[in-house]
Amino acid sequence: MTASPTSGPIVEVRNVTRAFDERTVIDDLSFDVEPGIILGLIGPSGSGKTTTVRMLTGTLGRTSGEIRVLGEDPIRFSRRARGRIAYMPQLFSLYEDLSAQENVGFVAALYGIGPFKRRRLIRRALEVVDLTDARHRLARDLSGGMQRRLELACALVHSPDVLFIDEPTAGIDPMLRQSIWDELRTLRNDGRTLLVTTQYVSEAEYCDRVALIADGELVALDTPDELRKLVFGGEMLEVTTERAVDADVIGGVPGITDVRQAGARQLFVTTENAATTTPLVIEALRQAGIGVIGLEEHQPTFDEVFTQLVEQRRATRDQEVVRSQGPEPVGARGG
Amino acid sequence: MLEVGDLVQAISHSIVRMASFTGKELREVIRRPGVLLSLVLGPFLVMFLFGLGYSGFRAPFTTEIVVPTDSDFSRSVDDYESLAPGRLNITQVSDDREGAEARLQDGELDLLVVVPANSAAELREGRQTTIRVAWNQVDPVYDQLAILATQILVSSLNAEIIEQAVATGITLAEGELGPEVSSIPPGVIARPTTAETENVAPTPPAVLNFFGPAVFALVIQHLAITLTALSMVRERLSGQMDRFRVAPVTSMELLVGKYIAYAVLSLAVSAIVGVLLVGVLGIPLLGSIGMFVGIVMLLTFASLGFGLLISLIADSERQAVQLSMLMLLASVFFSGFVLPVTDFAQWMQYIAYALPVTHGISALQDLMLRGRVLDTWMLIALFGIGVVLYVARSCGYGVSSEPPTDRLSAEIRS
Repeated sequence: MTASPTSGPIVEVRNVTRAFDERTVIDDLSFDVEPGIILGLIGPSGSGKTTTVRMLTGTLGRTSGEIRVLGEDPIRFSRRARGRIAYMPQLFSLYEDLSAQENVGFVAALYGIGPFKRRRLIRRALEVVDLTDARHRLARDLSGGMQRRLELACALVHSPDVLFIDEPTAGIDPMLRQSIWDELRTLRNDGRTLLVTTQYVSEAEYCDRVALIADGELVALDTPDELRKLVFGGEMLEVTTERAVDADVIGGVPGITDVRQAGARQLFVTTENAATTTPLVIEALRQAGIGVIGLEEHQPTFDEVFTQLVEQRRATRDQEVVRSQGPEPVGARGG
Repeated sequence: MLEVGDLVQAISHSIVRMASFTGKELREVIRRPGVLLSLVLGPFLVMFLFGLGYSGFRAPFTTEIVVPTDSDFSRSVDDYESLAPGRLNITQVSDDREGAEARLQDGELDLLVVVPANSAAELREGRQTTIRVAWNQVDPVYDQLAILATQILVSSLNAEIIEQAVATGITLAEGELGPEVSSIPPGVIARPTTAETENVAPTPPAVLNFFGPAVFALVIQHLAITLTALSMVRERLSGQMDRFRVAPVTSMELLVGKYIAYAVLSLAVSAIVGVLLVGVLGIPLLGSIGMFVGIVMLLTFASLGFGLLISLIADSERQAVQLSMLMLLASVFFSGFVLPVTDFAQWMQYIAYALPVTHGISALQDLMLRGRVLDTWMLIALFGIGVVLYVARSCGYGVSSEPPTDRLSAEIRS
């Protein structure tokens, strides 16, 4: 079963707040998830990612706001809606004394899948996560990475339309993280919708859209490329020349919003559109008699993007606080 | 037709879900052979050692008799031992009362008996004489036994006193009443009646027979409580409960699945232990096997409820084990296992009857040793306890039909 064509968003979150004992963990969160994409909910540990996922799956209530998943409020999910979603918890929650295929079979049975159909679905789910050879091994005998993949197989076995996957790569080596993301993208390509949380900011690259979350607030929501543009004011070009060059040489090229001198022969150029600006930059340098050795699009890491966004956000908030406090009273300083 | 089809599908899905819990629980237990072995052989070994090591013979009281110098009572040890056969071990008969009192204080003696100095004379003059019997015991069971032994001893001594007095009277009366009086033995005059005793129970009292079913009931309850509590707490703490909540699983399906698993497990353990009890230890099973199975099922049902209740309270596996052990301790003391329930105060009896094992012990002892359950209300009580606890647990932990509670949120966050 793949996602049936849906006109609207699969997930709708509107002004959702969640407080624990008067401590606000999620503050006025709003976003949508369109069908057939991977939305990465990315943020540092304790930023409210798991709380958000638990509210979306109906395992946790909200203090205020509105949530719709598959058109239903998660708190009152119908059985039909439950059958269309899957949840992979952050903690290892499988049964150590059951084999890999028994664990998957157990979860399949939770969705009411009978023994004959189950056998085929178990086989397919284990194939997807490449655990067919380990199907008879007890879960406790699997490595940490295999256990995470087994969890994923359990989440997949009933062919859900929407998957909520909490920290699938936490504590896993980079090679395996890559392979898990490959599997998630395969699922996306099958037409499923995935909401994946991760604390590894660099994994934003694997997502179709990214919701950056910090201190329970949504910092930014966009595609990875658009987020870069948001931070750096456009796309970035890294220009290396034959001899020393001054930034003013290309400062007047149309479409360029900023030029930064990175070295005597190196410039970082911010432009609205790299494709149209690139030939204009080369031409401007040629006219100045400067040969170009290299010109390529510069991709700032998502760690840089995230740090920049969070700092921008905090600066904005500080300004808002200062503004809300009004002008400083006369004579207050040096009193 | 469509509605019927939907209903059939919903029921079949529900059965699949319940079976998934049953199968999972059984597999988990079977995959731990050590646990399984201890479940099956543990109770048998406990009873085997109990039967082997407990003779049922209670050591007689170490007793000293003090006979004052002017008393006409016997000073023979054998004479006094015969007064309460098997209950007294007379170390000596002396006239050293102070020394005997000191030995009692020092714990060298269990019982001290001081016979009256001139009892026959007192009797002839119509006055009661006092026999002092003292003991130094803190064990309530021994205390009761000492009282019993004292009653037997005093009764026998009284008979002895009467016998002596009457013997003297006969000698005096012989001149007036004629020689036929002397043909009546003084003992007959003193004890004109005799008792003939009989125990009408279908099984002669035996320690192993009596305690075997009790240990068995205790083990079934402990097994059900511990395994259920641990299983539920583990699932909650590991986040598995969240998976159940997201899946289309109801609390009823989850609980019924687990109930069936532990019912099967209890029956399997009961079958093996039952065969060992009857076949190896020779404990009789006078009642029907069907009734035996029924009692085990009811006991398991009620005990599972307590396991589920503990899982609702416990915040960790360690706490679940501690609470289960507390239940075991309470069951040993208050269920009639050691002391009869009727020995407790009325309010305490209510607590005792809230324990499934209290009814389980009574019902199994009746069925195995008498052939039928005398107090059938106890079976209804077991069912009632199970139903009440099932409902309480269902209300306390909705799986899919209820929104998560703040308590749950707190648990997960911690």
